[in-house]
Amino acid sequence: MPIYESLSSDKLSVVLDIGAAYTKFGFTGEFSPRSIITSEVLCSKTKKLRRIWDYESAEDLYDLLVDFIHVIFFKYALLSPKDKPVIIVESLLCPTTFRETLAKVLFYHYEMSMMFILPSHLVCLASLAIDSAMVVDVGYKEAVVIPICYSFPVVKAWQALPLGGEAIHNNLRTLLSSSNTGIQDLPESTLENIKVRCCFVTKKYRADQLGSAKPEIATCPDVKYPIGGAEHMTVTGKVRERAFELLYEEDNDHLCLSTMILDALLQVDRDLRQKLMGNIVLIGGSVMVPGFKARLKEELEMQLKNNRYSKLNISTIAFHSLPCKENYAAFLGGALYGATELLNMKSLTRETYFKENRLPDWINFKENVHCA
Amino acid sequence: MAYITGPDVVKYACTCGLLKPITHLYFCRYCTQIRCSFCVCHEIDSNFCGKCSENIPSSEARLKKNRCGNCYVCPSCQQDLSTRIASKGSANPEEAKSTPKKMYYLLCQFCRWSSRDVGIPDQSTVTGGWPKRENVHANRLQELVDSYKAIILASKKHQQDKEKKKRVKCLSYTDRTGVTAAAIRKRLGLPADMTHPMLKNRPKNPEPAKAKSEVEDLPDSIFTEPLNLAEIMSIEQRLLQPEQQPTTVDKLFPVHKQLSIKRSLRCRSCEHNVSKPEYNPNSVKFKIQLFAYYIIPEIRIVTVEPLRSGKTSELIVKFTNPTQHQTTITFFELDLDEVESVVTEEVAEVAESFEQSLYLQEKQQLSLPSLGSLSQPSSLLASRTPSITVKPRRIKEDLNCKIGIPESSFILLPRDDAAEYDDSGDSHNIQDDPKLVKWRKSNKAFIRLYVTPNEDLPLNSEVTCGFVMQHIYTNTITSKVENKEPQQYNHKVKVFLTLGNSVGCD
Amino acid sequence: MMSRNNIKIFPGAMVCEESKLRGDITIGSGTIVHPSAVIIAEAGPIIIGDWCLIEEQVKIVHRLPFDQQSNENSQPVLIIGSNNVFEVDCIVEAPKIGNNNVFESKCFVGNKVTISNGCTIGAGCKITDEQILPENVIIFGVNCQMREGLDRPGPQTLQMETLSKMLPNYHHIKKPNMKKE
Repeated sequence: MPIYESLSSDKLSVVLDIGAAYTKFGFTGEFSPRSIITSEVLCSKTKKLRRIWDYESAEDLYDLLVDFIHVIFFKYALLSPKDKPVIIVESLLCPTTFRETLAKVLFYHYEMSMMFILPSHLVCLASLAIDSAMVVDVGYKEAVVIPICYSFPVVKAWQALPLGGEAIHNNLRTLLSSSNTGIQDLPESTLENIKVRCCFVTKKYRADQLGSAKPEIATCPDVKYPIGGAEHMTVTGKVRERAFELLYEEDNDHLCLSTMILDALLQVDRDLRQKLMGNIVLIGGSVMVPGFKARLKEELEMQLKNNRYSKLNISTIAFHSLPCKENYAAFLGGALYGATELLNMKSLTRETYFKENRLPDWINFKENVHCA
Repeated sequence: MAYITGPDVVKYACTCGLLKPITHLYFCRYCTQIRCSFCVCHEIDSNFCGKCSENIPSSEARLKKNRCGNCYVCPSCQQDLSTRIASKGSANPEEAKSTPKKMYYLLCQFCRWSSRDVGIPDQSTVTGGWPKRENVHANRLQELVDSYKAIILASKKHQQDKEKKKRVKCLSYTDRTGVTAAAIRKRLGLPADMTHPMLKNRPKNPEPAKAKSEVEDLPDSIFTEPLNLAEIMSIEQRLLQPEQQPTTVDKLFPVHKQLSIKRSLRCRSCEHNVSKPEYNPNSVKFKIQLFAYYIIPEIRIVTVEPLRSGKTSELIVKFTNPTQHQTTITFFELDLDEVESVVTEEVAEVAESFEQSLYLQEKQQLSLPSLGSLSQPSSLLASRTPSITVKPRRIKEDLNCKIGIPESSFILLPRDDAAEYDDSGDSHNIQDDPKLVKWRKSNKAFIRLYVTPNEDLPLNSEVTCGFVMQHIYTNTITSKVENKEPQQYNHKVKVFLTLGNSVGCD
Repeated sequence: MMSRNNIKIFPGAMVCEESKLRGDITIGSGTIVHPSAVIIAEAGPIIIGDWCLIEEQVKIVHRLPFDQQSNENSQPVLIIGSNNVFEVDCIVEAPKIGNNNVFESKCFVGNKVTISNGCTIGAGCKITDEQILPENVIIFGVNCQMREGLDRPGPQTLQMETLSKMLPNYHHIKKPNMKKE
């Protein structure tokens, strides 16, 4: 009875996943977001776009969020937010200021009735119907690894590194400036488009070759990328293959994407390790680039041979493929959770929020006492 | 009307503490308060398609995912697509003489993308059953949703049963009568309720997905074949279709046009509308339009002498009365720390921090006592829960210039549209303070004020001054209905003027 | 530098008297040149093919890039193919233009851009970067996005028919001075 259900108004609730670069917005029970928009608002004073996550203070963020939620509800959702529930999908590592301010905006300014907060790493498993997995979220600001065991996020094992879209863009900028002059002030949107249209994650042996002084392989063809109508720049084959390399190159602390996963694994009980490595789930927009999964597998296999991780005794590495695009995987989980009765059972209501005047959070001691 | 597009040099303080030009403000007649888009409750009135101007009921809009069923936007550049006719002769050569069949295809006039580009066959009807791309995972996901729903429902029911049983234990009628539930079941001829309800119709868990250790490798062609940029979509084009996120040009499909809305604005403290548009999408008129521009005297800067720190300059401002009633303007000193007496009667302490500023005001009676009998029918209001009012913020504006507050007040005549065509000259007979009023005509008056920028003001910095303007607001709602004399209120508005940059000594 | 005007108009062409034509210009049959269009053959002759539509305030300038201007002896010819549409107020300095191209209103094509066939330069697009536009390329939007079209833009037959009826009623038309080949 999908038609009947979509007709009744109270069944449709807004699901929001406010990411650092893009916000995924849609309704419960739907399998894809209605729209994916940049998490930016037009500043009324300077008439410039401002990213929501670049807030200066809680007060500043409040105003940014008021404007942003307004755009979402009145331009895209076309729904009066008053007295409606909302489902928020957020990272477990979401800053407290952001969560608290968002709750304030939703409850005080928009007078929403309920707020159902879901951890992104956990809910993305709903579309796979599995309860244990190693969830790797590579977003814009950072990459966060949190293992999920029997539907419980093992938060103590979390790993995070600033490896995401932003880092890739900066890397791409540096790589491009060596072969082109005067592109330092290239807007990030152009860099992003060069990234998605030209670049890919290359194979390990090619990456090693390209990194060496005298590569023995031919690089992939160069691309002449027009910038406006007046100029163009050359995206060399080497740049195309190397743009994503920083995700796999160990930094000064010998950390990279693959070590993050294995370090998280070390924090987990011994008997769960093989299960987790056999269930790796990749989410976030940055993992959608061609070759990402294959390369990550290669890297993991290589790292496992190292002394550092040899005690893990992992025999197989297996990846899940999601029934959706990776950039809205967390949204989809939220939409699936929100479609069930859980929304009415587990939400934080406005009344409770006003009474308690705080947002439940896993780091808060009060919640943990209650659980025990 | 330079200020509409130009910089906002004259700003009024809204009750909520934000500063905005008068064109952005509303005036609630029932609370006699200024409101702005930040402190009113926005509501959606009607949905319509911006291309075909068709009104779409909200239930239908919801069904069509807030998109117009007939209009499309270009997947390549997001402009509206137009339907084009292509006549096509019949495929059958025998009927060649018959009239050619009209076929339709979609074309973007801007980037020349057409539905033929991606191989969509031309349609025989105008609205066309343009093919939709189905989500390949839809079946699996629907299965998941259904089973999750069932599981949660079952567990909820289980919990409720548990609670019921607990209650039954405490107080049971059957216990008192000595008849057990099992006995009643037997008497009624029902089978004994033996199985656990949870086990009886326990919903099946969905099949978990299987992980694969083989992963898709990069095609070798990527290393050798040149890239054709025109075939690869940009991130904006991909995200326009969130479900498919097409990476190559052959996967672009026309996108239904997103609907637009008409909004009505409601005062959060008295639940009356301050703005309500007409239903018809083609109409730009309003049913209710309580814009401050029509009620509060408008101030414009006429001239200001060069501003020098510590020196007094003459400032001439123009006051315009937009109402049909005479008003008197009085000036008061502006004190930003002062708690506005009208707004914060029931709020004792001044908002000091952001935390406290969100402190809720207790909801009073829906309508204001003075105008109680005239508020909207209560049935209309009963359907919505009353809004919560957020405590006003402190006004954030640095004043670096003193303004001499004139002691006398002056009168602004009512607006008279006919006066514009009256060449007979001013016939008013008002005793003006010549020091204050420089010149006047019909509902306008030019007022002379004196401003002194602060002594310590550095060169070339923006000079801002402010004052409180009190005008008489004549409430016409009561008089219309009950034939009473219109009520008059003294209304105070905080006004901020940005006078330009300070200059050095000459 | 500017030598005598040498305008050759083939029969069937409709060149308004008020249009500004400078230098050695040949206009093919069926081509319509609006009153305030400007065609300047500065670096060498311009040959415009058949059935081109040159609208109001269009500027077609044959001007060599700066680095090639020193070579005085050569007289490159700007050949504009057939069925091209130059919309209102576009400025085209391309050294070579094929057939069936559309230059939309207020676009600008620099003198380093060679246009092949079936291209569309969108309204307001400014193309100056040295390149050869492949066939059926469409340039649109503020950032001059590029895409490949399926086929050439259709000819403006209807519009040209109307114009050829209307223009002589209100403007003086230059008489063709060439014989049909």
